[in-house]
Amino acid sequence: MTQALQTIALGLLIGGVYALMAAGLTLVFGIMNIVNVAQGAFLVLIAMLTWKAWQLTGLDPILLALATTPLMFGLGWLLYRLVVVRVRGTTPAMSMLLTFGIALTIEGLLNLTAGNYFRSATPSYFAQSFHIGSIVLPKAQVYGCLAALLVLGLLYLVLNRTWTGRAIRATAQNPSGAALVGISASSVAALSFAIGTATAGTGGSILSVLYPFFPASHYEWIARLLGIIVLGGMGSLRGAWVGAIILGLAETITATYGSPRWATLVFYAVILLVLLVRPHGLFGTRLREDVAT
Amino acid sequence: MNPRVAQTVAAVVLVALIAFPFVAPTATYEHTVLLLAFLVAIQAISWNIISGFAGYVSLGHSVFLGIGAYTAGILSTRWNVHPLALAPLAGVVAVVVALLVGSVVLRAKGPAFVIITIAMLLLFQVLTINLPELTNGSDGITLELPAWGRDVGNIPFYFMFLGLMVVTFGFSAWIRRTKFGTGLVAIREDEGKAAAIGIPTTLYKNLAYAASAFFIGVAGAVYAYFLTFLNPLGAFNILTSVTIVLAALVGGRGTLWGPVVGAFIVSFASEAATVYGGGSQSRLLLFGLALVIIVLFLPDGLLPTLQRRLAKRREVEYTDHAGAMDHRPAEVGTREPIKPQPGPLLELRDVHKAFGGLKAVNGVDLAVPAGSITALIGPNGSGKTTLFNLITGTGGTHTGEIWFDGHRIDGLSPWLRAHHGLGRTFQVTRLFKSMTVLENVVAPLESFSPRVLASGAVAGHEADRARDLLSFVGLGRFENERAGALSYGQQKLVELAQVLMLEPRMVLLDEPAGGVNPGLVDRMAGIIRAANRQGVTFLVVEHNIPMVLDLCDPVFVLARGEVIASGPPGVIRHDPAVLDAYLGEVTA
Repeated sequence: MTQALQTIALGLLIGGVYALMAAGLTLVFGIMNIVNVAQGAFLVLIAMLTWKAWQLTGLDPILLALATTPLMFGLGWLLYRLVVVRVRGTTPAMSMLLTFGIALTIEGLLNLTAGNYFRSATPSYFAQSFHIGSIVLPKAQVYGCLAALLVLGLLYLVLNRTWTGRAIRATAQNPSGAALVGISASSVAALSFAIGTATAGTGGSILSVLYPFFPASHYEWIARLLGIIVLGGMGSLRGAWVGAIILGLAETITATYGSPRWATLVFYAVILLVLLVRPHGLFGTRLREDVAT
Repeated sequence: MNPRVAQTVAAVVLVALIAFPFVAPTATYEHTVLLLAFLVAIQAISWNIISGFAGYVSLGHSVFLGIGAYTAGILSTRWNVHPLALAPLAGVVAVVVALLVGSVVLRAKGPAFVIITIAMLLLFQVLTINLPELTNGSDGITLELPAWGRDVGNIPFYFMFLGLMVVTFGFSAWIRRTKFGTGLVAIREDEGKAAAIGIPTTLYKNLAYAASAFFIGVAGAVYAYFLTFLNPLGAFNILTSVTIVLAALVGGRGTLWGPVVGAFIVSFASEAATVYGGGSQSRLLLFGLALVIIVLFLPDGLLPTLQRRLAKRREVEYTDHAGAMDHRPAEVGTREPIKPQPGPLLELRDVHKAFGGLKAVNGVDLAVPAGSITALIGPNGSGKTTLFNLITGTGGTHTGEIWFDGHRIDGLSPWLRAHHGLGRTFQVTRLFKSMTVLENVVAPLESFSPRVLASGAVAGHEADRARDLLSFVGLGRFENERAGALSYGQQKLVELAQVLMLEPRMVLLDEPAGGVNPGLVDRMAGIIRAANRQGVTFLVVEHNIPMVLDLCDPVFVLARGEVIASGPPGVIRHDPAVLDAYLGEVTA
């Protein structure tokens, strides 16, 4: 019983972090129909930068998100304006090839500059835990989840309470309609891409504490995130939430009751199963545009 | 590039490649560089079948190399069989995996396929690590050493990969020439349209995916023997996948020679970078940058870009005037009804379709008499095109029944409806713009059988019939032009010829006169009449009311998703409800 509660608590904590990371990916897909395969590489890049900054200054890695999030926002904005914008209007496959190329470039750069071995940021609370009854909650997990929820809350406020957010949601629902009422499609696209990558800023800083990482970790991360948004329904923020919680739980449960080495497989299984049974996921619009229907 | 020049160059290069090991038997390093280039070419050519011809990009295609390699590795050690003897089986295993995965994702369009292909590669990595009983996990599998002596070096592998490359290329070239190949290109250009002209798109995509897996699987077994050691990260390598994609993109995705040319360029460049530019450490970075640069600046690849630069396209003056076209009567010919049914040819019974709260089609009953030219008119937004989409099977779910020629057809796929003899044209023409006019007209499949796959794309009586139909619509002399180069009105005529190729019992025309030069409208009406006299029933959506009233009988009037009037044109012309619908409803 304790073990079950413990597993569920850990699953929920990690689910919150996944929700943030996946939110950026699904937002970008919803608005511009681009699957940003580089999101995993952005996470690992920021984790590496956070780790370096923590090493040099001793600042708290999760608090460093205050710097890395705006940094990724700016980088995402630039990347969109300079590079990604050129593949708008081509096929989704071309934009995926492009972002895949960006991911490889980042991985290659990290390999050359940082070296191909595992790292993990270990602040003072790294090995400490909160004890609630018999349940043990590692402090790093709790802080990470809180930071993720905070940023998700901010994202929610921006999307629902500001003009910019309305413009973004309007563009996601009906691009030409949004353009007709005076929303600049290119600004909204740049902005959403930047917001999408900014979530990788926060996410990457949290990641540096929660998981050991090395340059090629980004494949594992993008697979996780794709599993989440495919399950939730690509383009749906609510779906990213629900998918993240479900898969956070599923991964933790598999690791506890099965074996950790099978835990990553949960995501691949989910991708395959969802695309087979319910291709538009839990909340998504139709991802699989069936010709016959 | 002129095909003959290409063939000559290829033949010279091939002879040189065959001669090379005899001329320089001790150049083991060069042999190895070349044989690895052959391996990349085998994969890029195969990749091109699904991702170039059919347009479904696979980002994890090296998964089949790993599957082939592991099949040979596992079975040769267990059964004590020579790895090379297992090569065909390795190909079959790759095909089986492709079919299993393909049947899941290839029912779909969109990003699902790309996602699955990446996921599959990573999945096989994890599986081979996690199933040590079968694969020996991360420790990998060691195969027997090659039987031949050291003095021959890699020369036997050199010839094996060279041979496989030639065979794979022949296979790809053969596919491109068949009707199956044209079907794949049609799917790439416009999948919905391909289904509407009778191409079973799901089956085609699955076959293409399987075809793209076979030779990579075979090569995988040879590769395993070449390496003599297999481990999960090496066999299911993401960089190998990227190399394949890069090679095909550099050369020219969708072209025949592009993947071959690209494979050599990428292999040599990558080798040069390893030797002169900082070792294999930097390869990942270089490949990533190369992928970005090619997608941004050379998305079509070298060969098509060069071809465009070199060939100054001859400019042809096109005109819509009837005088510029030839006239020749032709047999339109419809297939014999399988069993003649009394009553209407097409019948809709209480059909409803809603988009959210909007009732686009609301309880439509409609019967098209066999042999008639029936019109469906109504103001914009009254549901005409939606109704067309429901009839042809591209409109999604709906309630009510649709009967055609005595069969209930709602629930059938678009291509099966086409095989029943139901054709359509589109409001905005949807020709396959990169194909020639003649290729467009022979693209439709009036029925499907496995034999169709292997038959030549433009051959025999089919080509003759297509030429007849082109003459029939007056465009015979444009058969070798790219369809995209024709004027809008001419494209509408080509689309009509295309749909008549189905030997349809009935054709749905969506605004045949819309956006067409007035001189061509009469010609269009004449063609419709002529085809009708030969037995084709028409259902026409049109805004050109004089043309409708002149051409059609009966006329159905649709407004707000409901049939508000029907009858002969003389009656419709004076129906107050119709005038009301067109001129605006009188508010009380």
